[in-house]
Amino acid sequence: MNLEEYKSVFAVTVLGLIFVAALPPVSMVLPLPSGGERFSELWLLGPDHMAEGYPFNVRGGEVQGPIYVGVGNHMGSSEYYVVYVKFRNQTQPLPNATASESSPLSPLYEFQFFLADGETWETPVSFIVEDVGFNGNSSFVAEVSINDHVFPVNVFSSWDSEYEGFYYQLFFELWLYSGDLQVFQFHDRFVGIWLNMTRT
Amino acid sequence: MSGLRVIGVLFVLFAFVSSVFVLGTMALDVEEVALSAIESAELAVDLAYEAVLEAEGVGANVSGLLVELSDGVEALSGAYMSSRVGNFDDAAYFADLCYDLVAGIEAEANELRDVAAVDRNQHLFLTSFGSVFAVGGIFCGGFFGWRFFKRRYHRRVLKMKPEVASNES
Repeated sequence: MNLEEYKSVFAVTVLGLIFVAALPPVSMVLPLPSGGERFSELWLLGPDHMAEGYPFNVRGGEVQGPIYVGVGNHMGSSEYYVVYVKFRNQTQPLPNATASESSPLSPLYEFQFFLADGETWETPVSFIVEDVGFNGNSSFVAEVSINDHVFPVNVFSSWDSEYEGFYYQLFFELWLYSGDLQVFQFHDRFVGIWLNMTRT
Repeated sequence: MSGLRVIGVLFVLFAFVSSVFVLGTMALDVEEVALSAIESAELAVDLAYEAVLEAEGVGANVSGLLVELSDGVEALSGAYMSSRVGNFDDAAYFADLCYDLVAGIEAEANELRDVAAVDRNQHLFLTSFGSVFAVGGIFCGGFFGWRFFKRRYHRRVLKMKPEVASNES
């Protein structure tokens, strides 16, 4: 190498070192964009904390669960969540996650909580289907008790001849608080379990 | 005698109608009180959450405040659920509880934000100072290093200069 080439190598090395030395204060003033997708997790686990053993064949008045509903925050900042618990029969509408539409059914129970980025939240849910009636090819549920709170539901279900049962669904919707709009918005996630109502 | 009977019937009717009216008005009052308490609690949660986000934005550790906020909104959930099933006494109780739990959080968050902002500025000053010092050191080191290297390079090149040999013929 001749002297001019050495000079170029030297200049590039010094400029590189200057860039490295100037980076810490610059990065404090201009926050670098954090990579990765921002999302929230919603899960439902059975009584043994596994994705199995969920209550299915249910009798009126029997305590079911606990099942465990959980949320994980990967949104990059602290978030304000609400999980709505809803109850429906086979014909009532479910949420449409692809269209960002929640189920129009009224929530029964709800869990509100704040979660820091990277943290998870989980809670047990026990429920009792109460005042169950059967009349020929239809069944009726008057009340559902969730974590010792009783809610009137008054839902009918017809006999499902294909799957042979009176089916209802207990499901959980995840909503996220929008600071700009100052309202909760459906966060496109829901989980649920099917319940086959059986005679005592 | 019949006049007395009419007065008696009218009195009973008046008592019945007025009791229905009074009870209805009281129920309305309880509902209004509950809804107003829920509104106050919601506002307090909004303000507290905004303050917590601001504090988090300048690098404050807000995990403790998030736990306090979660306790508050758990009570708010109770208020919503009670109001949905028409239990407005409980709704008002839970809304007031939420308000009490959340009321001090905004001030705490503002305090944390201010402390974090001062820490951040100090850190920025020290980092900038260190950075300027390092840049100056690299610049000076580069300048003198280059001069030293250049001198050594010339000396080495000069040593390599071919000697003129005498032509003895």
